[in-house]
Parts: sequence; C-alpha cells; structure tokens
Amino acid sequence: MIAEVPTMAIDLVEFHENTSMLVDEYLAHRLGMIPLTSHKVDDFKFTRDCTCTDYCKECSVEFNLHVKWNEEGTRTVYSTELISSNKDVVPVLDSDQDRGIILLKLRKGQEIHIHCIAKKGVAKEHAKWSPCAAVGFEYDPHNNLRHLTYWFEKSIKDEWPLSKNADEEMENDPDAPFDFTAEPTTFYFNVETVGSLHPQNLVDMATRELQGKLGALQLALEEDQNPVSNANMDDGEPWV
Amino acid sequence: MEVAAVAQPSGFRTLERQAKAVNPGQKHEYPHVQGLTEPHIQSFNSIWERAGPRTPALIDVAMSLVDKQTMFDHKGDGDKHLGNKIVFWMDTLRLEHPSLSARETKSTNRLMYPSECRQRGISYRGRLTGMLHYQVNDNPVVSEERVLGQLPVMVRSNRCTLQNMGPAELIRHHEEAEEMGGYFVINGNERVIRLLVATRRNHVLGLQRPSYGNRGPGFTPYAAQIRCVRRDQTSQTMTMHYLTTGRLVLRFALRKQEYLVPVSLLMRALVGASDREIFEAIVGGDAENIFVRDRVELLLRAAKEYAVFTQDQALAYLGDKFRVVMYAPEDATNIEIGRILLRRMVMVHLDTDRDKFNMMAHMVRKLYAVVSGECQEDNPDTQQLQEVYMPGHLYLAIIKEKVEDYLLGVRAEINKDVRAEKVDLYNTRYLARVFSRVVSDIGIRLQYFMATGNLVSKSGLDMQQVSGYTVVAEKLNYLRFISHFRCIHRGAFFTELKTTGVRKLLPEGWGFMCPVHTPDGSPCGLLNHLAHKCRLTTIVEETAAVDAALVRLGVHPGLPTPAQRDPHLLTVQLDGRIVGYCSQSVAARIADALRMLKLDGTRSKKQSAIPFSMEIGFVPRSHGGQLPGLYLFTTPARFIRPVTHLATRLVDHVGSFEQVYMDIACLDADVRPGVTTHQEVLPTHILSAVANFTPFCDFNQSPRNMYQCQMGKQTMGTPMHTYAYRTDNKLYRLQTGQTPICRPRIYDDYGVDGYPNGANAVVAVISYTGYDMEDAMILNKSAHERGFGYGTIYKTEYIDLGKHRKPGDPVTLHFGLGPDSIGDESIMDNIDIDGLPLPGARVEEGSPLYAAIDDVRGRTKVHKYKGEPGYVDGVRLLAGGIDDELQAIAVTFRIPRSPIIGDKFSSRHGQKGVCSQKFPATDMPFTETGMQPDVIINPHAFPSRMTIGMFVESIAAKAGALHGVCQDATPFQFDETNTAADYFGEQLRAAGYNYHGNEPMYSGVTGQEMRADIYIGVVYYQRLRHMVSDKYQVRTTGAVNPLTLQPVKGRKRGGGIRLGEMERDALIAHGAAYFLQDRLMNCSDYSLAYVCRTCGSILAPIAVPATSHVVDLDRSASSGLSTMSALSPAETSAVMAAAGSSVHVGRGPLDLSCRLCRSADDITMVALPFVFRYLATELMSMNMKVKLDVK
Repeated sequence: MIAEVPTMAIDLVEFHENTSMLVDEYLAHRLGMIPLTSHKVDDFKFTRDCTCTDYCKECSVEFNLHVKWNEEGTRTVYSTELISSNKDVVPVLDSDQDRGIILLKLRKGQEIHIHCIAKKGVAKEHAKWSPCAAVGFEYDPHNNLRHLTYWFEKSIKDEWPLSKNADEEMENDPDAPFDFTAEPTTFYFNVETVGSLHPQNLVDMATRELQGKLGALQLALEEDQNPVSNANMDDGEPWV
Repeated sequence: MEVAAVAQPSGFRTLERQAKAVNPGQKHEYPHVQGLTEPHIQSFNSIWERAGPRTPALIDVAMSLVDKQTMFDHKGDGDKHLGNKIVFWMDTLRLEHPSLSARETKSTNRLMYPSECRQRGISYRGRLTGMLHYQVNDNPVVSEERVLGQLPVMVRSNRCTLQNMGPAELIRHHEEAEEMGGYFVINGNERVIRLLVATRRNHVLGLQRPSYGNRGPGFTPYAAQIRCVRRDQTSQTMTMHYLTTGRLVLRFALRKQEYLVPVSLLMRALVGASDREIFEAIVGGDAENIFVRDRVELLLRAAKEYAVFTQDQALAYLGDKFRVVMYAPEDATNIEIGRILLRRMVMVHLDTDRDKFNMMAHMVRKLYAVVSGECQEDNPDTQQLQEVYMPGHLYLAIIKEKVEDYLLGVRAEINKDVRAEKVDLYNTRYLARVFSRVVSDIGIRLQYFMATGNLVSKSGLDMQQVSGYTVVAEKLNYLRFISHFRCIHRGAFFTELKTTGVRKLLPEGWGFMCPVHTPDGSPCGLLNHLAHKCRLTTIVEETAAVDAALVRLGVHPGLPTPAQRDPHLLTVQLDGRIVGYCSQSVAARIADALRMLKLDGTRSKKQSAIPFSMEIGFVPRSHGGQLPGLYLFTTPARFIRPVTHLATRLVDHVGSFEQVYMDIACLDADVRPGVTTHQEVLPTHILSAVANFTPFCDFNQSPRNMYQCQMGKQTMGTPMHTYAYRTDNKLYRLQTGQTPICRPRIYDDYGVDGYPNGANAVVAVISYTGYDMEDAMILNKSAHERGFGYGTIYKTEYIDLGKHRKPGDPVTLHFGLGPDSIGDESIMDNIDIDGLPLPGARVEEGSPLYAAIDDVRGRTKVHKYKGEPGYVDGVRLLAGGIDDELQAIAVTFRIPRSPIIGDKFSSRHGQKGVCSQKFPATDMPFTETGMQPDVIINPHAFPSRMTIGMFVESIAAKAGALHGVCQDATPFQFDETNTAADYFGEQLRAAGYNYHGNEPMYSGVTGQEMRADIYIGVVYYQRLRHMVSDKYQVRTTGAVNPLTLQPVKGRKRGGGIRLGEMERDALIAHGAAYFLQDRLMNCSDYSLAYVCRTCGSILAPIAVPATSHVVDLDRSASSGLSTMSALSPAETSAVMAAAGSSVHVGRGPLDLSCRLCRSADDITMVALPFVFRYLATELMSMNMKVKLDVK
C-alpha cells in the first residue's frame, strides 16, 4: 500500500516565468507533493512502458498555470488553479468550497507561468506517488498470544492503554492455561490516504498488487520445477 | 488529565506572526532582540551625543583632553629668543550620516543605507569633520573646518540612516524587520567589535605575581595596580611595586615605554605634602600598626636621597626627566611640565591633585595590607574585578589617538621647517600647506582597524593586544549571528597562557557570564557569552548628588588620621575617588540607605539622585579577605543585571562587585528571612540567549549543553529573510524549516519562530540494522523526499572586467555577446544578449556563465562556471561611477543541497550524528498506528552521554503533536515531586499512548512484531552545515608533484590523503605487505630505473645513440671519470630522459650503457620510488655515491 500502488503525481515542471518569492526547484517540489485524483490511474501507462519518446496522453496529464498579479496586496495561488488536460486527474479537494492547497503567494508585479506534466508512478520511486499517509497494522490487541512483553514500571494496565481494536476481541482469562499453538488470525489495518485514492479503493488495489506478485512467484516456482518450460525462459543470465 | 503547576505553555502564535509579517508595524515586536546589541550601539552613540545635560558627548570630552601643540619659529633673539609662537589644536569633531559621494549627481535622496553597501561590497561610512584652530602669538584664533575622511558608522546607531526605524520602514530599506544593528559594514561584510574583558576601572587591585619579583634587583612579587579611566574612557594603568628596600615605585607606560617613578616623589609633587602628611595619609587611623608605620618610615627615609623637599622641587625634578617625552612647549618650565605629567599620567580618573594624593595613599595602604597578609591579594580573573572594553569607547580612543597623531605630525613638519629655516608663521599659505601636508584621513585608519581588527597605535591605548579586535558577524544562522554580539573575550594574551586559572568558571560570574555557552577546545573559558539578561552600563552618570547624599548620611570627608586612633575606619570611595571615611556600622547603614534611595528612583520613574545602575559594594571587615570599605561605582562598561528586591518587590540592578557581598536567593525555597535581600527574577537568567534555547537543558549532562551551544551555531537554518538583498560569499538556507513543538518560552522573546533552525522529526530509538551504530542515523527516504532537511547554499561571485585595467586606460572589455557567438544554442541557453547570465539558468562545471567582447582581439570570450551544479539566482550590476560603462557584476548562485548520506544532523542536546543510509519507507519499522520514524538513532547514544533532556523532549513533543499544542520546555520547571516524565506521560496516556512513550513496533522488512517496545517520539532535528559535498576527497590517479612525482595534497587540487608514518606502522604490524607496497609504491611514485650491477649506480646507466656511442666511449676512455663533465647539462638531461623510456629520440635508436663501467653488460631494470632517484641525484651533487647491490 505504501510503496507499490500507483498514483498520479506531477513529475516534470517547465518554468516559463517565475518571478515569485519561491525558487524554481522548491516550487517544483511543492507541486510534486500535490495529491491528484488517481481513481483512473489504471488507464495510464507507466512512461517507461509507453511507446512515446517523451510523454503523451497515454502516460501523462498536463497542467497549466499562469497567474500575473498587478494589483496591490497579496494574491494567493491555489492548487485548483492548475488547469488539467484530463478531467479525471485533478488536484484533490476536501469539499466543493475547498480551493485546494496554497501553492504560492504573489505580490504586485509577480508572475508565475508553468507547465506541469503528471505521470504515473509508485512511491518506491518517490514519496509523492504514495497514496496513503499512514497504514496502521495490529493484531492481538490484548496480547493474548504473548508475542509482546510490555515493559512497565508499576502496572501494565495503567501504562499501556488499549487500542480501539481491543473492542473487537475478547481478552483471554489470565488464569486460563496458555495455548502455545495459537496463531493470530485477525489483523487490523487502519488506512488513511492523502486523497488521491479512496481507502477502500486503495486496499483493493493493494490486494491486487499482492495477488499479482504472488502469482508471479507461483509462476516462477512452477517454472523452476518444470525445466522444460524453464529452458525457454532462461537466457543464461542468473535470475536475480 | 492532571496538569501540574507549570506555567501556561507558550503558543506558536502563527496567525499573529503572519499578520505582522504581512503588515509590519512601526514598533519592534521583540524588544529583547534589540537589547542584544545595546552595549554596542549605546557605547557608539555616547561618542557623538550627550547623555544628559551635564554629560557632554564623549568626542568633545576626548578632544578637550588632547593637548594643544605649542611651537616657536626660533626667529627671535634675546629675551624672546624662541621667536613667534603658534598654538594649534583641534576640536568639534562631527560625524555625518552616511551619504552618497558628491560624484553621484543623479540621486535626490542623498542618504546611503546599509543594504546598498552590503550589496555593492563597499563600506558604510559617514563624513568626519573637525575644526582646526591655530593662533599665532596673540593674534586672533583662526579656525577652519577639515574633512577627516569617511568614518565607518555602526548600523542602527545615532549616525546611521536606519536609526529609529520600525519594522515597516526597515523592510522598505531591505533590512530585517527586527534588524538590531550593532555592527559595521566594511567592504560589504558585517563586522563587529568584540567585547573584551578589562580590569575594573578606578579600583586598586592588590596583586602577587612571581613575575614581578623578576623585574629587577629589589623587586618583590607584590604590587598594587589601578586602571584609571579618563573622562573620555581612555585608560592608563599604573602599577605600584613593593621593593625589598621598603621603597615603592610607580610604573606606568607612556607610548609603550615603561617608566618607574618613586611614589614618595609623586606624593610630594601632587600636594606638596610634608613627611608628616604623607605618614598620616598612609597610616590613617591605624596608628598602632607597626608593620605599616615601619614601612612608611622606610619609604620616607629612602625619599631623602632625591633631596626633594618641596612641591616645586618635586615637580621640577619630574619635569626635567620627562621634558623630552612629553612634547611639552619649549617655553614651559620644569615645574609646568611636572604638572602636565601629573595631569596626563597619574591617577587620570581624578581631577584634583588632593584626590589623587588621597587615592595614592590608599593604594600604598592596600599594597602594605597585601604584603602583611592583612588582606588577601585580588584575583583579576574574577568577574568581580572586571569590566568590559566597550566597542564605542575603543573606537573613540582610536579616533582620539589619530587626531593626536595628526597634530604631532604637523608639529614634526613645522619642526623640520624650523631647522631648515623655511618656517613663516605669518604666511597663511605656508600654514595651510603645512596643515595639509600631513595626512588627516582618520576615516581610512578606522576602516583599516575595522577590516582587519589590527590596532596600529603609538601609545598602545593601554591595551594588551594588537590584533583580533574585530570579527565578521557571520550570518550562518540566527543563533550564530546574535551570539556575536554577546560574546566576550578574555584577551588574546590569555590564549597563550599555560595555566588554566583564567579559564575557570568562577562563582563571581553568576548571572553575568553564561556557565554553559563557551566553546570546548582552545578558547574554552576565554571566549564567554553574557547571560541574556546581563547588561553593560554605557552612560557616564552625574554623581554630585551621590556625594551630597554620602555626606548627609554620615561620611567624614578626607582620610582618617592617626589621631583618631581607630583602626577600623573604612574608606568610602566613589568611582575610585576617596569621598571620606566612616565606621563599619555607619558604612553598613549607608549601604542600605543608598540602596533604598536607588530603588526610589526606579519606583517613581523619575530621574533619581542615585543612578539605577550604581553599585554599592560594601566590603565588611574580615579575616584576610578583601580590603574592607564602601566602594561605589557608577561608571560605564560595568556588568549589571536585574534581580528582584524582596522588601520592595522592585527590580534592582546589581553589579558584579557588589553581588559577592549580597544575599540573593535563587528560588523561593532559598530565601532566608532577615538575611536574603534579593531574589533572582528567573533561574534561567544565568544562561545566555543561545544556551536558553536548549529545551529541558536542566535534564542534560552539562557538557552536552555546551556542545549544543556550539552546534546550534553551526546549524544550517534561516539566518535572515533578506536573501534577495544579500551578496554574502556563502549563505545557508534551510528551505523546509519548522518551529519546534517543544521549546523554551524564551523563543517568543527573541522571535526565534521567525528563524527556524530545523524540523520536527519522528525519532525512534532502536538498533535497527547496523547502519545506526557509532552515532550514525538512518533517514527515512520518504521523509527526505517530502523535504526533510532540504537546504540551499547561496554563493555570490564578483566579476570585475576592469580588474586588470590601470586607472585612466580605456575600457577594452565589454559585457555582451558578439556576432561570433550570437545564435550559439549552447551559449544562449545560459547567457543573454547582454553577455550576462540568465537568472534561473542551470549551471554546472564548465557551462558558460558570462561573455565579454574584447576590443583588442575583436572576439567574444565566454567565461565558464566553476563549482558545484546550481542555478543562477540573480545578477547585480555594480556601478563604478554613475556614467561609467558597466564593468562589474555580482552573480548569486543557488546550490541545492538536499541531505545525502554523510551529512551531519543533530538534535538540540549535543547528540550529533551522520546520515548513514536513506531507508525506503517500506523497510522502516512502523507502529500500530502506522507511524514510521523519520530518523532512527541507536540506543547506545544515551547511556554514557546522559542526555535525558532529549528523552523528555521526545515525549513532550509527541504529546504536543498528539494534542496539537506547543510544549513549554523552559528549564527548571520540574522537580522531584512533580516530574516531567509524569506530566508528559499523563498527556500521552490521555491520547491513548503508552505513559512512558514506548510503542510496539513491527519490522518493516519482515513484518514481524519486535520483541521489545520502542521509544518513539518527536525530536527537533537540526541540519548542521558540515556536508560531505564540501568535504569528500577522492583520487585514483591525478596531479603529481613535478619534483618527486608523488601525489599532491589538498582537496581542491584533487590530491590524496596522506598515508603517513603511523598508518605505515599499523600496516607493518598487521603484516599487510602487499597493501603497503600498493599504497607507498604503486599508487605513489612508482618508476622504473636502470641500474648497473657492476658499479651499483642508478645514475650512471645512460642511453646513447646506438651508432655513435662506441665513438663517444672511445673518446671518453682517455678522460676517465670526466665523462660526466664532457656532457653539457642540457645533453645530460636529454639523455637521461631518453634512458627512462628507451625510445627513439629523433637521432636514431638508443642503447644503454654505464658511464662508469663503460659497458652495457650488466645493466638491468629495477622498480624504484621516484624520490629515490631524486635522493641519489641530490647526494651525488654533494659528492656522495649511492650504490645498489642488485642480485
């Protein structure tokens, strides 16, 4: 979920004019961090898999921003002002009233004119493609299996508050004989996304990703046991 | 939640600060920041403006103390043989605000502002003028104004164009909103005059130093010393030596030359005292003291040998001896010169001779007391007996000396003309010429002083050192910048000292000097910092009212006499002047009464008779302690600090002298009723500003706080907001700074929120893989990608096309792209048609930077960029003159420096570490809530260092982050019954986390739950400026030394790191022979040489042309060993070079032959270090043969 679910994020920024306070590379970094709606991410190819030389509609979305401020006071530029070439890939918003993330502020006479290219990618490459903020993971909230030895000064109960997941399970009777063979069966995930994907969506996609990986592994193992088909695949290179 | 009795946490005040940033007001938001430079600015201001109705500007006082020069033309005869007289002097020195030079005619606003000077790399100076007066005989005085050059002006002083500006106006003039000044702009750099420790003025010190005993025969280790300060704040130190003969001599320096004068002679010269008077003055009420009586008797007896009995005789005696060195008028009598000497050199802080006499008697008395052991010798290293050389006072002293030098220069010129008989005092043109013949540019002298910190002085200004007076106020980050104004140095002399006594932290410095903020290493304890509430007095106070009050309170004027027969009478001194005497009980009462009078002034807010900064140092009688007395001080340059007066609850200022004898409680619990009179306002007041910024520093082991003070100053942070208007050589900037969640309240006072120095990081303390051992730390790659610790360096390069052009020569180089290079894509990407770099262009090593058209060659020369990859941030066109063609530019580069492996980070607790690895987020351990640490550090960083403050910060900031509040990290808030761990633990528990800050974590690699729960929290991390990009050194092959063919050293030249002798030893010990061979030979100066096995020489085998060598050998056979000389040096070297490679050199194939054995049979090739060949050659030149035994 953290590293391998693809999303869209701004990857290239072409600066035509930037007379704002923020320097180019800093602004480009900010732009990259903007979460873009990525529910249609599967429609895009990775640029490296795409047939185009640079970028194209198949693998990227373009954004334009051109603001020139000639009045007194400060002009705030929001992420919603980025004009997308694809209505499915736009900066994430909280609500209809939300104007998005503040990109920069302009004073009188300052101008920003940029052209951004968003690409599909995974967080393994850069954190900006990460769809989730944090993934909580827990099992056995009551420590029934005694996988943990909590460190405490006076009392475990006082010093270690139970998590919310503890409501879902029963605590074992401390006097009951300990079952050495018990295995954890319930795992609690707490998924929080940055908005580019719905959490439900994200879990689905992550499961699919995992399935794909397991499938590939299974295939590889089968090939390993079946040297006939292996002969076709093996080109003499050691398999890394 | 149970909230302990801790003061309300300070807030981030983000919106408030933002509003102020958008709409800056007229009033400073952070008065504390302005207070930091107060000693600098006020002492500078006091030079030029009067402090009160009866305290004139110091420059006028100084000028009144400069002697008028009197000269004669020696054209007269008889009675008036000296001829015509001229008297000349200078006064009314005035400094104008910095303004544009007269050459620049197009600007309507003539004022110059510091920002312009910084950007142009020039000095911020104002015009200094003075009135030169002269009078010939009794004719009317002629006065003329002279310009004394351009004098550097302190920023935000009363001669600065920014004075009294508020944030809004300062920003308009391209300054920080809270610009506090206190520095000078010299050649574009900001330089500060260092605060230096001085001996307390006008106070007699009793000293015992073995070196005094070695001064000469009869000298003993005992002496009394007084540093007298004139009204213009220049000083004169006098030392009174105790001799074995019972005599006393006074030593003082005049133009760096030492003079010794008998004390008895001086005392007589001062007031014409008889032996009896001298006796009574010294002995005082202590008539029974046999020791003192005997010594005085000896003193007076010894005085007889000078046969000086009256005042006039004494003065004439002194005048005779000092006539030459005093530059006295030629018509002055010896007596007059004697008076001048007394006025200028002896007890210069006093005006009347009677006062000087009394003080001299006191000095003798104190010296005797030290010798007899009645009182203890003083320790000049305690803050009690110290004050400060104020920057302004030093500045004034130099100006004054330079004026004196000018007048003496004129004097020398006239003298020369008198001898050549060319002098004509009635010719105004002659006088005008002679006055302008001597350079009167004082500004340039001060500019030199400020730029180098070197003091060029004839008199030495009574200072101990000649260099190191000024330093650059580096704007590395905010902390470093402000600490320059608070740092106080003990003096260059002490850095050499073997003894460590001066470096000691003494209890007398409590509240004045920060006990934490001093560097470790060689300047430890010598370079201290003022406690943040410590102030330095700057105003010359009016003391007549104090005098009156003292008499009213029961002080008897004058000195006690033996007739009173009371040995316990104490002297009462005010600023080193004996006001009178009284008994101890009266003195104690007076001290209390004065304190109340002093506080009265504070209470009623009106000008009090007693200055608020007056020190009331009542030293009671003791057994061998300090000499008792009532010592009052009102002078400038003293340390004072605020404490609460318990009886009145008013803020009282105490000085470092009186503090020793006062009862000041620190905490409420320390108050002892009936004894304690004062209490600290806050316990944190003893720390300097920077030391105060360490959160929970009371939990840490003390050296760690010292390290943090150092590291806080090396952090890559936010030094300023005016990057656009700066052309500093190198500026650091942290792009993603945050304000700490957990910080001391003082952050609000100093506005540190505006200048962030780091970022809040989630820190887990685990030993996770091996990449966190030995103080290494693991960064989360995703955190880094989101901008953690992202920094930028701004570098500015000045480019001056006219650098090699002589003045007056025509301009031959013009910025621009000529027709020969216009259209070239590779150039036009970076350089505009005007030849200047395009802002925003990316540059790396070798990319075109700017272009200039050369008239002479008619070509465009494109200059390349050198250095790291970066961007052109801006280009400044620098004007030479207003109509001149553009010849100089300043290009600012922006070099991005995102954190990489090898960069240094630290928390605020002296825990520094190097980034060893950037782990992918998926491999980082995570908690049950899904938090991943940004930083992993090793638990071994804690046991030996005991930085408990870091643990407390970790849980405090974690709780703060969970509850969304700012945590107060002021030290000394918690105690044993109300612990920090409990206070923040409860907050954590309320948020559903473990009370101790631990959490179970899962390995990011395996997904397994870890056996132990992990201490994880939020710690503010600083990125230090030490980055691998500036330090890495790598070499495979590269430059070599031409002589030895060994690799060169130095990072810049691509050299290597020396594998030295000790490294060699280690490798030998390990038996790593092959490696050793590789390092010392193969990778160094490996060379092949021919050696003749018969004679063993490596120099004899030479290559000779294959055809002719037989002939050659035949010829040389007759001359035997002279073969060598048969060849000219040029030939020899050519042959030698050919021999090395054994290739065909034009003339045909070459053969090898030994010149000594005249055969080629036994020549073989060996591998040698090239230096060995060099050594053999060198030895040969000294007629020594090196023989190799080749098997």
